[in-house]
Amino acid sequence: MSETYDFLFKFLVIGSAGTGKSCLLHQFIENKFKQDSNHTIGVEFGSRVVNVGGKTVKLQIWDTAGQERFRSVTRSYYRGAAGALLVYDITSRETYNALTNWLTDARTLASPNIVIILCGNKKDLDADREVTFLEASRFAQENELMFLETSALTGENVEEAFLKCARTILNKIESGELDPERMGSGIQYGDASLRQLRQPRSTTAQSKQQCSC
Amino acid sequence: RGEADRSRTTAKDRVQRIDPYGFERSEDFDYDSYEEFMSTYLQILTRRSIKWSKLLQGKSNVERNLKVKRYVRKGIPNEHRSLIWMTASGAQEQMEKNPGYYRKLLEAEHDAKLVDTIKTDLNRTFPDNIQFRKTAEPCLQHALFNVLVAYGHHNKNVGYCQGMNFITGYLIIVTKDEEKSFWLLEALLGRILPDYYTPAMLGLKTDQEVLGELVRLKVPAVSQIMVQHNVMWTLVVSRWFICLFIDILPVETVLRIWDCMFYEGSKIIFRVALTLIKHNQALILQGKNFPDICDKFKEIIHGAFVEDCHAFMQKIFTEPGSLSMTTVNKLREMCRARILSQEQ
Repeated sequence: MSETYDFLFKFLVIGSAGTGKSCLLHQFIENKFKQDSNHTIGVEFGSRVVNVGGKTVKLQIWDTAGQERFRSVTRSYYRGAAGALLVYDITSRETYNALTNWLTDARTLASPNIVIILCGNKKDLDADREVTFLEASRFAQENELMFLETSALTGENVEEAFLKCARTILNKIESGELDPERMGSGIQYGDASLRQLRQPRSTTAQSKQQCSC
Repeated sequence: RGEADRSRTTAKDRVQRIDPYGFERSEDFDYDSYEEFMSTYLQILTRRSIKWSKLLQGKSNVERNLKVKRYVRKGIPNEHRSLIWMTASGAQEQMEKNPGYYRKLLEAEHDAKLVDTIKTDLNRTFPDNIQFRKTAEPCLQHALFNVLVAYGHHNKNVGYCQGMNFITGYLIIVTKDEEKSFWLLEALLGRILPDYYTPAMLGLKTDQEVLGELVRLKVPAVSQIMVQHNVMWTLVVSRWFICLFIDILPVETVLRIWDCMFYEGSKIIFRVALTLIKHNQALILQGKNFPDICDKFKEIIHGAFVEDCHAFMQKIFTEPGSLSMTTVNKLREMCRARILSQEQ
């Protein structure tokens, strides 16, 4: 359990039922396609430590149930999320049409500053496509989202989606746009960063604590 | 060589890879402790089976009395399970009062959106059960689809809610009959459980809070650590309520819990939850932070304590102490009012 990291980010995976949220998470964490499993009820956790721009970041990822009515229950998990994968299924227009609602939930319940990447999943099923890349890309632009088409089956762009989101958050921290110390930012310093980053800033209480032990 | 191998067979060689209900045993299944448990449990099952046969003596109904209640708590043999669930829950009575109703629901025109929603979950319901595979003959996915569609049209207020698929799946496995499964689902959702599955899920939210209150009264240290680390009850127990312990506890244990739930009602769910929490109090209290505590709640649903369904079912009536329906109802009323006022 002696893993050290500079930051811990809380991530959400949200979107309609059957879009492949759990499979994306599984592919990201286990590096394989999760076949044959029950759908998610409530919420599941996953975590992985990644290297982004020279920093180690622990992603704590919350995978949520997609059925509409569960939103009233899962909404309580949104608070304090730093990033989110907003997932739709490129072969289902209905899941695409629901995006606006999910987006509103994320921005109002998690944080207005939440960094969101839109994922058009099931890229491998191009023959059954109901949502074009261009259309979704436009939606992403209009709503200030990053955008990728992913395949939890082949793994295409899955790692990229999580990393891109993490990288953006990190950039925002470095530029001062995001303050990790603000309550509910969804960002925490890890042990490593307490040593490396915060040591020079001798005024904060926590670095004093670090020194004394 | 063959001889030598046979004398050195392990529990894993002797125990079937697929359980009696069609579920494949998981990769981390503990064959040794299962074999040990079964060696004593089989005797219990045989004894219970004889007792039940004497009690029923070919009757197709069973009275409600202390003796039957005691019998139910000690487990209904699988061969009588369907019958007892049907009669104890009132499902049998409803089915007899409404002949042909289930068929009519199936034959009527179906709401396309409802059908779509149900279809999304068909392949994601027990893919680890060979009876639900597309290649199975008969494939229970069809029965599952029918019962869910029928129920969705019967109770339009609920329609379809995830979780109902798992519950219906179990009902089909046990009764091997679509119509009975439909009426049992109707008994559960219509009478036994509060409104867990309606769009607002108010009953679910309420019962999660009620559990929180009960833990505060009965296992205060756990209640404290949850508050201290800001762990919402919904995060760790919503599946317990929504799935009635399916995919949480071992199959046999779930069925034994359901035996009591059909006979005694929804407070059994609290008994089970409280037993899991109280028995594992020390372990939960080791949780150092938020995700750690969540992990502990995953740990407490595995292992010998829950595998030994017979001992576990005795525990649920002793470990949590007294729990009257009056208490549960009072807490439900209080929590419901609190949630409604917060949501406004």
